[in-house]
Amino acid sequence: MISGIGKGTASLWRALPGSGRAALAVVGFLWLVSAASPLVSSRASEIRLEDRLQPPSAAHPFGTDDLGRDLFSRVVAATPLSLTIGLTAAGVSLAVGFLVGSLGGYFGGAVDLVLSRLVEVVLCFPVLFLLLALAAFLPPSPATVILAIGLTTWPGDARLARAEILKARDLDYTRAARAAGASTPRILFRHLLPNVLAPLLVSAAFGVAWAILAEAALSFLGVGLPAPATSWGGILSAAPAYIEVAWWMALFPGLALFLTVSAYNLLAEGLRRASTERT
Amino acid sequence: MIRYLSRRLLLAVPTLFGIVVLVFLLLHLAPGSPVTGGGESSRRISQRAAEEMRKIYGLDRPLPERFAKWVVRVVRLDFGESFVDHRPVFDRLREAFPYTLELNGLALAATLLIAVPLGVAAGGRPEGPLDRVSGAFLFALYSLPSFWAALLLQALFCIRLRWLPLYGVASDAAPTGWAGLQDQLAHLALPVTCLTYASLAFYARLVRASVAEARQADFVLAARARGLSARQALWKHAFRNALLPLITVLGLVLPGLLSGSVIIERIFAWPGLGRLYFDSILSRDYPVVLALSLLGAVATLFFTLIADVAYALADPRVRDGTLV
Repeated sequence: MISGIGKGTASLWRALPGSGRAALAVVGFLWLVSAASPLVSSRASEIRLEDRLQPPSAAHPFGTDDLGRDLFSRVVAATPLSLTIGLTAAGVSLAVGFLVGSLGGYFGGAVDLVLSRLVEVVLCFPVLFLLLALAAFLPPSPATVILAIGLTTWPGDARLARAEILKARDLDYTRAARAAGASTPRILFRHLLPNVLAPLLVSAAFGVAWAILAEAALSFLGVGLPAPATSWGGILSAAPAYIEVAWWMALFPGLALFLTVSAYNLLAEGLRRASTERT
Repeated sequence: MIRYLSRRLLLAVPTLFGIVVLVFLLLHLAPGSPVTGGGESSRRISQRAAEEMRKIYGLDRPLPERFAKWVVRVVRLDFGESFVDHRPVFDRLREAFPYTLELNGLALAATLLIAVPLGVAAGGRPEGPLDRVSGAFLFALYSLPSFWAALLLQALFCIRLRWLPLYGVASDAAPTGWAGLQDQLAHLALPVTCLTYASLAFYARLVRASVAEARQADFVLAARARGLSARQALWKHAFRNALLPLITVLGLVLPGLLSGSVIIERIFAWPGLGRLYFDSILSRDYPVVLALSLLGAVATLFFTLIADVAYALADPRVRDGTLV
């Protein structure tokens, strides 16, 4: 699977099962929508109180919200934010997880014992407890949201990286590199990382789905991104107050979220299958 | 096995210490110092609350001394007073606990009642029709945000159909006796459904995977060779073995449930620990936040240990020391 990614998308495409291909197509479509979203940004923020709480119609396919803004434009305009936060937060989690996990797995002994305890400590906390505390107590900004999500989900990646490095650290290519006098960072990043990348990427794809959900949950609960930045979770946060009169305010932003999360999960599942069937 | 267990217990000590340190650091994460510092939190804390904080955490003292004093108080379950209503934190936790226990206990029971038979049936015939259909269905549930599902269920069952109440624990004029129980169950239905479906996929897939694996194992093939029917071999042999991995993850059930509770209890106005935690975060009620984080993490550690011990007792390879 590594070569699949390395040699370009064509062989990745061939390695993926049908559902994974469909998921990859949906993810591609979402990024296209996100690239086109500036087209609707002015309409998304246009407040027209005379049009408030209108049900879906030809003029407003998703209806309008409590301030008369067009929900379709708002959902489209929120796409880039939700996608980027998901991707970067999963990246932070992967980076921290790889660092902690690979150091523990590579050195073993006391280093491993300490780092494994660290992983265990974080795993003991309910994820949402830590997430809420970080998001609410640090100054509100996109960076805070990304860090909060990344810093609460890395233990999973760390455990995975540790197990993979443990398997690879005594293989011939690692021993050869060590015998040739390569430094530890060089062995870790140059030799071991590429060889344990496949399972980590699968985990990262699941991680993107999770991070998008987590950001939406935070924004829904009102401790996510500060206004005027809007994500799908932020749009949804207005829905409970109008649930009795405007079901569309709940339906459409959530549908976008569901579609995105399923696509990333399905892609991750496809990558997992492609990588396990090859090896 | 003694060796395995004592090693496991010894390793829990530094973890426990780490938990206490992390919670302590959480307090100092707040903008500036938790009492005097800048940021918006300072404006929300009253003079009296600030005095209270100073007293509890001894903020004029050096960090190690503060930490030691805090640990001594915490060990005696003295978490100080809530900033919001100035009652002991422990009392507030005790009041909210039964609600969370009721909700999550029912959800966990429902999850296992559905997930275990479904996982065994699906794993008994991998790639069979049931496995494919349930697999796709569970995958969709896995990607479904619980707060969105809760909103849609409310819109359908509470507003359009008017079958169930929107939120709360019981109706304002709660009837007594049989009608009262019905009223309570109606209030429980949606939150329990949301918490159940959210964890269903994880457990069903876990059971499915281990049953599918155990199905190929020698002891199951041997049972089949002795003339047991496929069904008997599945339920008597493969199933029992497949429960082992379930024991180990049950230790981590608690943090998952508490996380889910935060969102679901907020949407359904359920006065449990999840909602208490969220309200305390918003009102910067640090003593409650710290107490809940600490107790949640320590309880999780405790249950993980129990799960490990149970696993050791259940797996003969660990029991007799051949597998450590």
